[in-house]
Amino acid sequence: MNLTMKHALKYFVLAAALIYPMLSFTNEYVLHVMVLIMVYMVLAMGLNIVPGFCGLLDLGYVGFYGIGAYTAGLLTIHFGLSFWVIIPLAALNGAIWGVLLGAPTLRLTGDYFAIVTFGFSELVVLFLTNEIWLTRGPLGLPGIDPVIIDFSWLSTLINPQWNWYWEFIGPQPYFYLGMFMVAMVYVIMGRMEDSRLGRAWFAIREDSIAASSCGINLLTYKVIGFAISAAIGAVAGAFLARWTMFLSPDMFKFWESFLILCMVVLGGLGNFKGSLVGAAILIALGEVLRIILPALNLPTETRFLAYGLIMVLMMRFKPMGFFPSIATQSQKNPILIKLKKELGSS
Amino acid sequence: MADISFKVIKGEILGLIGPNGAGKSTLFNCVSGILKPTGGDMHFLAEDKKIRINGYKPEKMTFLGVARTFQNVRLFSALTVLDNVRIGRHCRTKANFFGAVLRTRSQKEEEQKIVEESMTWLKFVGLDKFAFYTAGGLSYGFQRKLEIARSLATDPTLLLLDEPAAGMNPKETRALVEVIHNVSDLGITVILIEHDMKLVMSICKRLVVLDHGTKIAEGGPKEIRQNPKVIEAYLGRGAADA
Repeated sequence: MNLTMKHALKYFVLAAALIYPMLSFTNEYVLHVMVLIMVYMVLAMGLNIVPGFCGLLDLGYVGFYGIGAYTAGLLTIHFGLSFWVIIPLAALNGAIWGVLLGAPTLRLTGDYFAIVTFGFSELVVLFLTNEIWLTRGPLGLPGIDPVIIDFSWLSTLINPQWNWYWEFIGPQPYFYLGMFMVAMVYVIMGRMEDSRLGRAWFAIREDSIAASSCGINLLTYKVIGFAISAAIGAVAGAFLARWTMFLSPDMFKFWESFLILCMVVLGGLGNFKGSLVGAAILIALGEVLRIILPALNLPTETRFLAYGLIMVLMMRFKPMGFFPSIATQSQKNPILIKLKKELGSS
Repeated sequence: MADISFKVIKGEILGLIGPNGAGKSTLFNCVSGILKPTGGDMHFLAEDKKIRINGYKPEKMTFLGVARTFQNVRLFSALTVLDNVRIGRHCRTKANFFGAVLRTRSQKEEEQKIVEESMTWLKFVGLDKFAFYTAGGLSYGFQRKLEIARSLATDPTLLLLDEPAAGMNPKETRALVEVIHNVSDLGITVILIEHDMKLVMSICKRLVVLDHGTKIAEGGPKEIRQNPKVIEAYLGRGAADA
């Protein structure tokens, strides 16, 4: 496939996705699954920073997802804050916990760090289950308001008859909101990757001793990466809270971390664009298995066996994922394109 | 290591030699901050101020102006040649997360400057044509040169080269010698660990010899070659007596 074909295909898929919810044959269930895919796309992109960019195994990502979700849920129920205010607050809360967990533990290397993160996510679930005064524990947190766009204060100023007030009902508006969120995170990831910050992460992943003798403060940059990753996870959580309008601690079990990690590995460690595909494949597969497994008289939890099998097969046949990140290909920066041309002509 | 003290004159090429296990690389690791000295004092003269550098982290030493290469090449092998050198510019630049995400004007200008300076250093070692190659795919000699370019990109005043000619063929070695001379012409002090005596004797005006973690001799190439202690360290007591 040549380059123009590839571009055309990309825009076609994007346009199709944008129009799809408005078509008459649109199925609510399919739309719902698509929104879920978008939530996991954001999670997978966010997680990719830690194992993909910095080369650290993070088994507790879902902890930040849970923190973001409960931050959004509680702020909505108790203070009635708008979604647009909650998003930055949730991101900030996620980042704060990322720093609190990362600053002491990122000195650990490899497996030890993975164990700590795993412990953290379990801790979050235990907290959400047992601190009943705050989270209502296993009863869950129902009755979270949906997302609302409220410009009525502005519209009544212009014309008293207008009422710019929309409550998000049904999957359509969430579809577009989710798409907007994915796009934003995608742009942020792309910009971080191609910057001094991203290069510092890659250097740490490739060779930490050489990185530190290039003047990179290892701990600082690992903590920054961990915090940004946590913030993105928390944003996805906040979206989830306002979308499902119900939260319970068992939505943030360890399995979720594993699932997100599967998506990252499937898409290619260090390639955040691959994470999008990984999320789409695994969530779609999960929905398919939800139908197939009961038909075979198997409990739906058996799907984790399928995920495990996928991971084993990936490790054996495509250890770099379906879309491995290749340094020489991912360069869209105008400065570099210009330089490439100059080098080619001379 | 015990009792090693020697002076380095600004802009000179100093050779550091000694038999295997003499402590040459350990000395480098201490000076560049990778190992913490267990005792004693190290001082580094930066901007006319004498600074005690015991226990300084590598990034701090790089910031002070000590750059190094490694005995077994340590490149960011999955990244491009240009990216390797750009990472070397890290300690002299300052764009942060917000600059990266918002693409502020200062960030863009800095990125442009990083690329230009990196290309200058790549040209300096003669690798500018390979800017977009993957670093791990370069030949061994080129990898060594790239590592030198990366350490030069940190704007050092002192460059520590740990066996830069190891595993090079004669042609690559000649190119390397030229690069080292050019570095020294820029006013950057070079300390060189090398086993290739011919190379050391030809480019270093002064040599320091280490054995068993202590300095056993210091001086010009001719003196060193005739120093009985050095001969003993390399060839054993019998050879020195004979």
